[in-house]
Amino acid sequence: MQKGKKLTVILLVMVLAFTTLLAACSSSNNEPANTPQNTDAAAPQDTENGNSGLEPVELVMVFPGPGEPQDFKEVEAAINEVTKEKINATVKLVMIGWAAWTQQTTLMLAGNEKVDLILSGLGTYTQNVGRGQYLPMNDMLENEGKGIKEALDSLDPAFLDAVKINGEVYAVPSIRDLAADYGITMRKDLVDKYNIDVNAIKSYDDLDAVFQIIKDNEPDMIPTTKYGDTIIDTHLNYYRDALDDGFGVLPDLDNGLKVVNFFETPQYAEMLNTVRRWYQAGYIAKDAATSTETQYNMVKAGKAFSFMSHMKPGIAAQESKNVGMELISVNFLPATTATGNITSIMWSIARNSEHPERAMMLLNLLYTDPELVNLFDWGIEGKHYVKTDVDNIIDYPPGVDAASLGYNLNYGWMFGNQFLSHIWQGDSPTLWDELAEFNKTSKKSKALGFNYDSEPVKTEVAAVRNVYDQYRKALETGTVDPVIELPKYIKQLKAAGIDKIIAEKQKQLDAWAAANN
Amino acid sequence: MVVAVSVLLYHKGHEGNINKGAGGMRVSTQARAQAPLEAESQAQTRLKNFKSTMKRIMKYRVLLLMTLPAVVYFFINNYLPMFGVVIAFKNINFADGIWGSDWIGFKNFEYLFKTNDAFIITRNTLLYNVVFIVLNTVIAIALAIMLNDIKNRFFSRTYQSLILLPYLISMVIVGYLVLALLDVGKGYMNNTILPFMGMQEISWYSETKYWPFILTIVSVWKGVGYLCIIYLAAIIGIDQEYYEAATIDGANKWQQIKSITIPLIMPVITIMTLLAIGRIFYSDFGLFYQVPLNTGVLMPVTQTIDTYVYRALINLGDLGMSSAAGLYQAVVGFVLVLVSNYVVNKINSDNALF
Amino acid sequence: MQTSRLYQWSINIIMLIFTIFCVFPFVLLVSASFTDDLEIVRTGYKLIPNQFSTAAYQYLWNNSADIFRSYGITIFITFVGTLAGMLMTTMVAYPLSRKELPFRNFLAFYVFFTLLFNGGLVPTYLLYTNFFDFKNTILALIIPGLLVNGFFIILMRTFFATSIPTAVIESAYIDGAKEWRVFYGIVLPLSLPVLATVGLFYAILYWNDWFNGLIYITDKNYFSIQNLLNRILLDLQFLQSNTQQVGKGAELVAKLPLDAMRMAMAVIGIIPLICAYPFFQKYFVKGLTIGAVKG
Repeated sequence: MQKGKKLTVILLVMVLAFTTLLAACSSSNNEPANTPQNTDAAAPQDTENGNSGLEPVELVMVFPGPGEPQDFKEVEAAINEVTKEKINATVKLVMIGWAAWTQQTTLMLAGNEKVDLILSGLGTYTQNVGRGQYLPMNDMLENEGKGIKEALDSLDPAFLDAVKINGEVYAVPSIRDLAADYGITMRKDLVDKYNIDVNAIKSYDDLDAVFQIIKDNEPDMIPTTKYGDTIIDTHLNYYRDALDDGFGVLPDLDNGLKVVNFFETPQYAEMLNTVRRWYQAGYIAKDAATSTETQYNMVKAGKAFSFMSHMKPGIAAQESKNVGMELISVNFLPATTATGNITSIMWSIARNSEHPERAMMLLNLLYTDPELVNLFDWGIEGKHYVKTDVDNIIDYPPGVDAASLGYNLNYGWMFGNQFLSHIWQGDSPTLWDELAEFNKTSKKSKALGFNYDSEPVKTEVAAVRNVYDQYRKALETGTVDPVIELPKYIKQLKAAGIDKIIAEKQKQLDAWAAANN
Repeated sequence: MVVAVSVLLYHKGHEGNINKGAGGMRVSTQARAQAPLEAESQAQTRLKNFKSTMKRIMKYRVLLLMTLPAVVYFFINNYLPMFGVVIAFKNINFADGIWGSDWIGFKNFEYLFKTNDAFIITRNTLLYNVVFIVLNTVIAIALAIMLNDIKNRFFSRTYQSLILLPYLISMVIVGYLVLALLDVGKGYMNNTILPFMGMQEISWYSETKYWPFILTIVSVWKGVGYLCIIYLAAIIGIDQEYYEAATIDGANKWQQIKSITIPLIMPVITIMTLLAIGRIFYSDFGLFYQVPLNTGVLMPVTQTIDTYVYRALINLGDLGMSSAAGLYQAVVGFVLVLVSNYVVNKINSDNALF
Repeated sequence: MQTSRLYQWSINIIMLIFTIFCVFPFVLLVSASFTDDLEIVRTGYKLIPNQFSTAAYQYLWNNSADIFRSYGITIFITFVGTLAGMLMTTMVAYPLSRKELPFRNFLAFYVFFTLLFNGGLVPTYLLYTNFFDFKNTILALIIPGLLVNGFFIILMRTFFATSIPTAVIESAYIDGAKEWRVFYGIVLPLSLPVLATVGLFYAILYWNDWFNGLIYITDKNYFSIQNLLNRILLDLQFLQSNTQQVGKGAELVAKLPLDAMRMAMAVIGIIPLICAYPFFQKYFVKGLTIGAVKG
């Protein structure tokens, strides 16, 4: 028996030693592979002399999506023809499911996988920059990425400033709706039927009368349904600069740069009271807190009359398309822009990139080349869309409808400069001008350009997020009484350490303000 | 018994060889240095032990070789990546790589304990698991015994396949199905069953008191078919002669179960329970997150370690903190298994895991 | 064994009730997949659809190229994975069941340890993608984390140890049989119920796995059927609950399939396994027990 034990121990030690050894090897394997990339990143200047003498490269572009449309590969081939000609590069498109996005991209960037351009933002920009996932872009934006800088600055120089972290750009926002106004979207047929005066809707209190009409006349219909997770999910952002995660905010996007707990403000309490009043009046479904139905399905099925959401020019047409019936949108809260509006959808060059300067050239094309942008946004002309008589307006090819379209990604807001793309029949012909104006005239947050890093307080964020999950949905759908539950919520948040988060945020904000003013 | 004797005989027969080998060694040792006699004899026993082990290895080389593919697989799949536990103690920065990142001690573990719900979360995880282990085992064994006794083969097989059905359905879908039953307005319970029984509508998703039962039922519903098959396979393997003899002795069904079936499948029960204990700090994420539809109000009774970690990290995406949680769960499970295995070993070493 | 008629009746009734309890939600699932989508939103899931519709299946049929390819992938990995896994599992479980095996305790511990500790996702992923280049290959769906399962080894070892008497093996030795011959000539035939059980479990494991696909596969040519389904289910949940972070979340859900289709996909994901079940059941036979061999 003794012998067996001893040998077991020896063997165990050997295995462990071997493991460590191999582990050490694997790590040293990782590192040399990283170093050449960095030198590569620093070196490109001398090889880069105009587009003629470029070596052929393959660039990998990673972004989230709902699953590849049927003709995705065809479109990819068409994209490659363009990029081959213009920057002598082929592009491999890698689409990753939304839910898997964080996990899969973290893994991809942890290894040495080939990734050049990667979508960034989605609420994780600062953390990812802090973890060294992206390459800095300042220099490249002066060279290969000139077009991007010009396109963004022509909108408002504030936008490119907003993404800077310690003065360095790590990502460029796509050109899309970079602000949001807020309102309600309703079924047009019922608005007409009951002669609802949409111009009279100026505040939440004006909605009660509208909802009452629906409740009285359409017994099977719920007057308003949730958008996202709650009734007022995105509306909250009108009243505050969420400063990334909403734990510690700037009310009215200003507040003299003093960070406060939004859930303690009278504003939040008042909104909860409104929602509660609606719930008790039967304007909100009883199962609103748990329902898994999307707002579109609810409206489409005739179960709901309206939903409240953030908006932009052309929202009614977009939502009508999503629901499949005519809707009308009323925006009663004007447009605002906070850092989060800009940093939610951006493009970065991954740390792994072997050809960062070429990746930047591709990105530059996405902001300057209408041909490429339209391929990404709408697919192949003649097959996925046809031009109409009106300039820049496109429509379904004959015999094709929304259901049978082979490329229906419709992610124009993601692929670079949306303002270069065609406009679909039915949308306003001047949509892009309207959007540009919208972006420019929106009320800017005083903290626009402040990017908060939650790393120092991540322990508290973890605990606070759990409390948030516990109370938010029930409160913001009116399912529970805010008079009783809101104080509990605030107490729990404090116990979980929200004050420490706010203090940290204030510290970072003060530092930012000192550096920028 | 026979085996043990034969092994003994085997070793005896080769002792001569071992001595001879050791003798040869002794000469060389003496030539080099005048080592004390004690050390010398110690070296000799060590060598003898080594030799006899080598003999045993040689004798069972085929058996050892058979284990090789799996041993190699585990080495690559499980043991090699274990260097990753360091991630739990680091603040990972991709530019520096896993090894280059800063050590931060136990900071990644803090969030697991720094919440005032830490007690509730741990209590939920443990209590649910204990209840699940006991209930699932008892019900699965009962069903397996019944299935084994059913004479009509067609029925028996049909039951067998159908009770496995729930195991095949993804938890997200189960969540929808539970909603179909319990929805406030559209659900079966409120629409059909409760009115039929003359009871008031219940707002299921806002009352915590029902959920310990609902989750237990779902867990049994989903998991018992799987466990039942394991026990069925064990019961089928029992020699019919035992039952025949017992029947001749006039033992009734219950006595047969108590004194034949249960004792004979005891090793399987023990192993299954030990393995379940090892995972007592884990919980089925789907069951506790998807089935209650992530309802906040229910969190006091549905929050477990896994759901807490998920909610905490969904937006942080912090590698260090998630590995810290995994490590914590594994270590607790490991300690508990070592303890229970020790107890099992004391009672009946045949049933122990190792 | 004598059993009274009353006993047979009662156990049949109990089993029947339990079976209905298990099947009922599944019926709900099938029926939902045949319901008009908007009808589900309106009235919830019903046992018998108010408005029968095959639209979900028609939609799946229209995308049958993707579905069939995924089926092919799933069937292939299930088949190959189960065979390879079974082979390696039996080969390690049997020696572990033999008390005289050198290093037995160590090996048992070595196997068991894998059930509790792992290096976590990142190192495993790096190992399989950097060293083995498994990303976007069929091997990524078969090997990482699935191929040999410690739980099944321990289960099988326990069965071997308890249901095959040492005497049988001993007598085979006395007859001069070699280890290998004992293994496949005596041990395996005696263990058919266990092999069927573990085989079934491996098949289920492979059939239902979507995690490897989620991690290692970005090329849709290698998506398994469960990958397709889970992607839809999880994306929906993610986008709805992260509207504030993603910004576009709640509007992107418009592109995701509706209830009936999700249910239909779940149904077509389960059916083949149900069909395969009788194959495994065939080996759950009594009579091939030790008694027969001994006699």
